[in-house]
Amino acid sequence: MDKLQRMIKGKIPGEATGIEVRKSICTICDPQTQCGLDCYVKDGRIIKVEGSRENPHSEGTLCAKGAAQRQWVYHEDRLRTPLRRVGPRGSGEFVPISWSEALDTVVENLNRLKAESGPESVIFYCGYPKQMRPFVQRLAFLFGSPNYCTESSTCFTAMAMAWRLVYGQMAGPDLAHTKLLLVWTGNPLWSGTPNARRLMDAKERGVKFVVVDPRKSPIAGLADLHLQLRPGTDGALALAMANVIIKEGLYDRGFVAEWTRGFDEYRIYVAGFSPERAEEITGVPVELIRQAAVMYATAKPAAMMPSSTPLVHHTNGVQNQRAAAMLVGLTGNFDVPGGNVPQALAWLEVPGGGFPARDHAFKMPRQWSEMPPRVGAERFPVWTEMIDQGQAMDLVRHITTGDPYPLRGFVGFGLNYRMFPGSPRFLEALDKLDFICLVDLFATDTTKYADIVLPACSSVERSEVRAYPQKHIIATEPVIAPLGQSRSDTDIIFGLAQKLGLPYQDYDGVSSNGGTPPPELGGFLPDGSPEFSAAFEAAMDWILEPSGMTMAELKKHPAGMPVPNPIPVSYRKYEKNGFPTPSGKMEFVSSITEKYTDREGIDGLPVYREPRLSPVSTPETAARYPLVLGTGTRLPMFIHSRMFRVPWTRSLRREAMVDLNPADAAKYGVVQGDLVELSTPEGSIRVRANVTHLAAPGVAHMYHDYPEADVNSLLSPDYLDPISGFPGFKASLCAVRKVSEAAPDFDLPQEVAR
Amino acid sequence: MSHAFYLDLDRCTGCFACAVACMDQNDLEVSRPEPTAWRQVFAIEATTGSEVRIRYVSLACMHCEDAPCLMACPSGAIARDAATRAVTVNADLCIGCHSCSIACPFGVPRFGKDGRMQKCDLCSARLEAGLEPACVRACPTRALKQGDPNLLTLEAEKKAAARLVAGT
Ligand code: SF4
Ligand code: SF4
Ligand code: SF4
Repeated sequence: MDKLQRMIKGKIPGEATGIEVRKSICTICDPQTQCGLDCYVKDGRIIKVEGSRENPHSEGTLCAKGAAQRQWVYHEDRLRTPLRRVGPRGSGEFVPISWSEALDTVVENLNRLKAESGPESVIFYCGYPKQMRPFVQRLAFLFGSPNYCTESSTCFTAMAMAWRLVYGQMAGPDLAHTKLLLVWTGNPLWSGTPNARRLMDAKERGVKFVVVDPRKSPIAGLADLHLQLRPGTDGALALAMANVIIKEGLYDRGFVAEWTRGFDEYRIYVAGFSPERAEEITGVPVELIRQAAVMYATAKPAAMMPSSTPLVHHTNGVQNQRAAAMLVGLTGNFDVPGGNVPQALAWLEVPGGGFPARDHAFKMPRQWSEMPPRVGAERFPVWTEMIDQGQAMDLVRHITTGDPYPLRGFVGFGLNYRMFPGSPRFLEALDKLDFICLVDLFATDTTKYADIVLPACSSVERSEVRAYPQKHIIATEPVIAPLGQSRSDTDIIFGLAQKLGLPYQDYDGVSSNGGTPPPELGGFLPDGSPEFSAAFEAAMDWILEPSGMTMAELKKHPAGMPVPNPIPVSYRKYEKNGFPTPSGKMEFVSSITEKYTDREGIDGLPVYREPRLSPVSTPETAARYPLVLGTGTRLPMFIHSRMFRVPWTRSLRREAMVDLNPADAAKYGVVQGDLVELSTPEGSIRVRANVTHLAAPGVAHMYHDYPEADVNSLLSPDYLDPISGFPGFKASLCAVRKVSEAAPDFDLPQEVAR
Repeated sequence: MSHAFYLDLDRCTGCFACAVACMDQNDLEVSRPEPTAWRQVFAIEATTGSEVRIRYVSLACMHCEDAPCLMACPSGAIARDAATRAVTVNADLCIGCHSCSIACPFGVPRFGKDGRMQKCDLCSARLEAGLEPACVRACPTRALKQGDPNLLTLEAEKKAAARLVAGT
């Protein structure tokens, strides 16, 4: 091989090889990660990706999913044209149609449903990614529907609600200044790799790690103290830690006296949770509970790292998370350096992004009071009072019963039906709708139910704006042309809005004030596809206006730029402003939940309740289904349903597997790779056994969304937390039975004993 | 030019980023029946009495100084790159006899659809262009490193010294 050939093969960028590095971001996973992406482009095609060094969040690194970007972007399942369904729903029989026909059909149907049943009969939904959420919400509200829902009906929001019930705001850990990190479930080493390095650095600096997690996860491997509790008993553990802290006088008396509400009731309640009682409930030895409580209370400062889901994927999730969050204020670690520090949210709700933006005004052109009650309003009053979205977990009931009004249409961006507990029931409900339009990257099992399918493009084919906690911001430009006729989600939204005749681009509301609306930017290309890049930029300019940044300036910095004059980090902000709670104080007894105590499972105090299905609460069911089932615990190579189809990531775990502890495997006569039946009272699936100490004895963990083994089909759609509406994904009950031996070519690493 | 890999076992989380970055860099074909991932990540569950620790290990070719594969190869398909000191394979010369697999103490050689040996070439072309190997670049925890063996061990030694003090 000559030198040039060698450089081409090695994908070395430069004039000689014709390979150019273009800047973008990865949004395959979307929990405020968005790693900077260097795309190596040759002849208009991406031939390789790597992390952008200039991105201060990911610093040149990627995770397994991001590194597989190229196979994901160019996958054969990508939708390349709009489609119209010709076979029965679910058959997957579609014909390609033009953008004009597709958008006109959607608009015609939406207007018909609005005329027949009111605008509230149409549901607007947003899954992954999250960048177009404010745009979808604005579309829904201008159309007149309050029924804007997102995948946050099962992710993150319940955690944020719990913190807001206590402090009026979320407060993340100040990792850089802390002496002890209390990781309360979650494994960011796999699910949030941009922070993995920082956690490792903290460990090497000598920061102590206390990890609460039912799994021996990689982060539990860093723990000085690992509290391996029975899933769903977090509340009892937190209350027992409070019990020790109060009894031993380790709490912050000054803060508690001056800045909290309901401490006396709380103190009396936690007095009932001795470490001995908590050991019985949680399985964590008394000594460990004591040690953890004393370590956390005396480290000064100590920070708590909450997780988006594992602590709130329980039928008692918000209460458990509240009990844990309260330890922060109790020990004087709230809003102090090295503790948990609330920070203002930037664009797309990035805490500490460092700049103000007008997302709220943009996404809420109407107030809730001007529209009929949204999905879940009656059933989840706390959610409805606190969160500016419908609670999608009530969709099955609402669609099926038509109570309080009929739901007939669905416009969904990135809808994955397997996200819903009792997933087949969600499909049945969907099928009852009159008209369904789904926007997606791929032809999926969910898009098979759509009447019209619209092809969206990925982050490397579009422009978007993202903020980072390092006070950095990026406005990307496409690094390759959208595949086929796919368009960015925002193009599609603007296109629909224009065809619906909505005043979408009238951001200052001049037309409703009698003024002249601004001229509309963007329109339709000769083939009918929506092209609204100028409208997107104008919208972003309007949203970013309070920050002083403009799209023109941002676009001069392809890898992003530091936020100019960022809002400085400050501490003890409550001393000046009080807490943004109804009482102005940290609330041990919540003024919000207190209003709904007539409802089962809602209390002012952080009351501990058993998971609705557990060996303790339902011993008869547990006699037949003896293992605790956790669904959706992360694997490093997958994110929800997004990476199964990608050969590179799929090769890392080819088959759907349930994690079983060796002791349980021995009990059921199962070895690595055996085919087992995983069943609950709702149904069963067949998967391979992954025998691992990652799972505690008595607990089975099963990754979600596998088309061939959908574990969420084994749950009831009503297995929900009454406060947040979140499903109890992380603690229900199941049984495991061996079906057959492992295939001889089974290629997963076996356990190694030393 | 320096040629060693170093893996900080305390920092490897088994996240597989390195493995996929290698697939992307080298256009690897990973479907059955001939999956040819050059970098592998293993979860090793080490039991000592009742204590269990799950450790993660990322492995690829070690580019041995006295490379057993090179010595075992009867057709001269394996050579040492003069510039980077990487142990490289010339598929045109490989006869697919698998002698290298028998000789390699780390189980590194892979055989694709063409039956020829393939493995990590230390991203030699990238090294020559002043870029780090694709796997090293991706690693989110910076567990995986590449460079001068003595500098890499010196860094590890420094950390060990810090641990000694912390332990007192
Ligand atoms: S293939 Fe094996 S023997 Fe040859 S250099 Fe690599 S690790 Fe050493
Ligand atoms: S150095 Fe290059 S070829 Fe070798 S394992 Fe790393 S990415 Fe793969
Ligand atoms: S990328 Fe780094 S942390 Fe992840 S598996 Fe590879 S070596 Fe380990």
